[in-house]
Amino acid sequence: MPPILEAHDLTKRFELGESSVEALKGVSLAVQPGEFVALMGPSGSGKSTLLQLLGGLDQPTTGAVVFEGEDISHLSDDDATRLRRERTGFVFQAFNLIPLLNVRENIALPFTIAGQDTSRGELRDRIREVITLVELEGKERHRPDQLSAGEQQRVAVARALVTRPSVLLADEPTGNLDYTTGGELLDALWKSCDGAGQTVVLVTHDARAAAYADRVFVIRDGRIRDEIDLGRRPDHSAAPLIARLAQVGL
Amino acid sequence: MGLDRLAWRILAARPLRTLLTTLGVALGVGVLSSSLAMSAGIEAAVDRTVRDVVGSADLRVAAFLEGGLSEATVEAIRMTDGIEVAAPSIERRTFLGAPVTSAGAEAREAVTVVGIEPVAWSRLHELELVAGARLARIDEPSALITESLAEADGYILGSELRIQGHDQPTTLRVIGIIAGPGPVAGAAGRAVIVPVDVARSAFGLEGVTRVDIGLADGVSARDVAERLAERLTLEPYVLSSPADLAEGLRASTADFQATTALVAAIVLFVGSFLIVNTLSMTVGERAREVGLLRAAGATRAQVVRFVLAGALVIGIAGSAFGLVLGLLLGSLMAGSVRALTGFPAEVSSLNAGSLAVAFLVGVAITIAGAVEPAIQAARISPVEALRARLDLPATRRARLGWLALVFVAVAILALLAWPPAAGATGADRALGVYAVLLAATLATPFVLPPLARILGSPLAAFVRLEERLARGSLARDRSRTALTLGALVVGLAMIVALGWTAQAARNAATAWLADVVPGDEVVTSIRPIGPGEAIRGQLAAIEGVRSVTPIATFDLAIRGLRFDAAAIVGADFLADGRLTFIDGERAAALRALDVGGAAILPLPAAERLGLGVGDTISLALGAGTTLDLRVVGVVERSIPGDGGEAILVGWRDASGPIGVPGADVFAVRFEDGAGPAAREALETAARDAALEANPLSRVQGAVTDALGRVFGLFDALALVAVLVAALGIVNTLAMGVVERVHEIGVLRAIGMTRRQASRMVVVEATILGLVGAVLGAVVGLGVGAVLLFLSGGLVASAGLPWASIAIAAVLGLAGPAIAAWYPSRLASRVSIVRALKFE
Repeated sequence: MPPILEAHDLTKRFELGESSVEALKGVSLAVQPGEFVALMGPSGSGKSTLLQLLGGLDQPTTGAVVFEGEDISHLSDDDATRLRRERTGFVFQAFNLIPLLNVRENIALPFTIAGQDTSRGELRDRIREVITLVELEGKERHRPDQLSAGEQQRVAVARALVTRPSVLLADEPTGNLDYTTGGELLDALWKSCDGAGQTVVLVTHDARAAAYADRVFVIRDGRIRDEIDLGRRPDHSAAPLIARLAQVGL
Repeated sequence: MGLDRLAWRILAARPLRTLLTTLGVALGVGVLSSSLAMSAGIEAAVDRTVRDVVGSADLRVAAFLEGGLSEATVEAIRMTDGIEVAAPSIERRTFLGAPVTSAGAEAREAVTVVGIEPVAWSRLHELELVAGARLARIDEPSALITESLAEADGYILGSELRIQGHDQPTTLRVIGIIAGPGPVAGAAGRAVIVPVDVARSAFGLEGVTRVDIGLADGVSARDVAERLAERLTLEPYVLSSPADLAEGLRASTADFQATTALVAAIVLFVGSFLIVNTLSMTVGERAREVGLLRAAGATRAQVVRFVLAGALVIGIAGSAFGLVLGLLLGSLMAGSVRALTGFPAEVSSLNAGSLAVAFLVGVAITIAGAVEPAIQAARISPVEALRARLDLPATRRARLGWLALVFVAVAILALLAWPPAAGATGADRALGVYAVLLAATLATPFVLPPLARILGSPLAAFVRLEERLARGSLARDRSRTALTLGALVVGLAMIVALGWTAQAARNAATAWLADVVPGDEVVTSIRPIGPGEAIRGQLAAIEGVRSVTPIATFDLAIRGLRFDAAAIVGADFLADGRLTFIDGERAAALRALDVGGAAILPLPAAERLGLGVGDTISLALGAGTTLDLRVVGVVERSIPGDGGEAILVGWRDASGPIGVPGADVFAVRFEDGAGPAAREALETAARDAALEANPLSRVQGAVTDALGRVFGLFDALALVAVLVAALGIVNTLAMGVVERVHEIGVLRAIGMTRRQASRMVVVEATILGLVGAVLGAVVGLGVGAVLLFLSGGLVASAGLPWASIAIAAVLGLAGPAIAAWYPSRLASRVSIVRALKFE
């Protein structure tokens, strides 16, 4: 089966006045459909930048990102917007909910942006389905400020999944959560991957989160330093990953 | 680096916001300084005019009746103890050149002819000649003309000048050119000075119009006035001093100055909204820095000073720029005053005091607007401010209660800077209007959410998400939205209010003329046309003319007070159905006028004199004689005179005892169905007789045009308030985008297009505009009702000012839409990657 997402020799340089910073220095990888992949590395290693390029939020300086066989490296703004709206889902560290919209409205936002009626038919069912998936039944009318941090992040996951994207991209989704709620969120992500075949790319510096993945790419100084194949494991034990990371000095 | 420099850096970090706020202050100060400049200009012009007109005379005796002051009266004045110089003069309006006889010829404007006794007159008046010589004798056929008349009509020294008099034209030679507009008030620079006997003969007069008096050293004007009262018993007269003249001149511009000052205060008030809002936003945005300063040991007082220092920079820069704007605006205003009143107002006389007042008011209001944000800043807790996720709504929000203080500050400053001529009544009215606007602004946050929901619902049908997010954004900080919206509402309300006042004034003027003038055409004469002259018959004989009725306007003295009066033919008014009677029987009253010994009073005169039907008025006719007239009716509106509505008398009394020499107006009514040929024939006949014929509609048009020009200027000033409001909208929308940059980044990340992001801001502006337009119209009608009520002109028939409401609606929508341009671009350009890093 061809990869759903590929990176070919990606570089990304940020101009900062007279100096410049090279965040990525030639990264290549491939993600298979239904795979759970984690990008791990210390702060400033370039993992978030790589995620943004993979999701069409930004464009590489050189190299190519191939999404479902299509080079998305140099899409127009409108095409990139359509890609994000229809084929990718994002979850960020900050919960990034719209404060004045309730849970259901926040989850339905991608459809609303597309001008679709979410009050009936299939879309209504899909919204209900993701609300059940993230276990927020009964809180559809709550506003973000009436939810706990974990619940807010689960709303963000539901919003990312509601369009049934080809790839779900999550950038440190547990960064603002405590141990228990972080675990609940990772369980939800894993469930969507294992149960519904959702492809997930997770950026994290937390070995426990990365241990949910089938494969882990270790990034440092803008390059992939290692690739750890954990395989699909319902127990998500972090021990094998930690041992391997110790070997590469992380 | 001192905190003051940090304040400066913070302003520089948001250059657009700082610039817009500075511009807002500048516009406020500009309108204020132009208003002050114009007031100073009018004061200077009053002094100059008084000097030009009265010269060094201490007193002036003016004739009350058409016949003027007789030679005996002039002699009596000369012989009065304490009077050193008595300079009689005659003043008449007429045309120059041969009568215009051909239909296509262009009639020139009228001139004012002043007949003087050269020797006596020159002792009291200084005439500055730019060329030629002065008059020497009282009977030489020579004339001095003003420089502006010479330029306008092409006269030079030695030119022949033909004055239209009561009979044949009088030919004179121009022997001197007077500098500038000359010494005659109200002549608009078109004055001709001739020897008194020449004027007497040209206009067929025996008496003189007035006598200017120079007192001997050490003699008091009061003593001389008492002596004159004893001696001058032949004719009624008016005794005035230069101070009286100055007061009259000032009174003629009082309403204008009062309204200008009111609008200036309102623009400043609107400007203060902008200042409060901007500095509150800056404090909210910089809460973390302020918290850091506090954590590092800065005292609350230091933080207050830090915010006030920023305000001071804005206040000084804005006020300085405002003075420059004010000079430009002042020139425009002075031009309007000149065009409207013929009054030679200039702004060149703007003095340092006016500049300083405007500058200080601008700085003071900026500081007043900054006090609340400064206190907010001082209250920021270092612990809260340094939290990872800063959410300090109190630091962002401008409290509306603070507006009350700014209101009081602006009101006090406005009263201090209030033009003296505008008077206390004007100040009361201004304060009333001003308070209504403040109340409306304070009520804005309460009516905003429901109104935004109702008015935004049509938009939701097309752009549901954008409408929802926009509405949410407006509700995010209601105080800020209320301040922004309040400024817009105030500006739009003033446009609606002024529009309504103007419409009511125009309607009243039009209805007044239609009610009292028994004709479709008004034929005016520059000289009185006596009953024996054939002109009336000639006009009446024109085919299609049904009636020609003569009217003369003149002054009457009753109980020592001056009243406007008019001689009319009662039967003509009866047949034509003019005049609305409040008291008395219409037919009997009008017939009684023609019989004689009767008068009809307009309501204001009846109220002033406390008289009603059946009472008697006693007219002073000079030489100790009086004429008693029975009041036979009181009418709602009467023929307009110089200073009010005229008391109506019959021609029998007017031509006889009162001594009115003839009609100066003929009202001509056409037969029903008479075509344009009749009008054309009448106008040709009128021109042949050196008369000017105008359809009543044109007269009404001229009145409404004049009102339109006055209100046009006020509208222009109110537009400045809308402009300041628009600056506030740019600031608020831009701040909304900056605050929501993270949120917009998320929306963009999950599929919102740039166009949608931009549209969200435009929809926000549109909702703001819609709410502003609706509230502006409602508040404007409230303010208009207050203005009309206080000026006694609120009439049910005035109708709503739909045109002004439409203009306010267009401005309400267009202003925010234009203001949204930059913030919407800002929103569409939000970088997703940077926005998501924003936290």
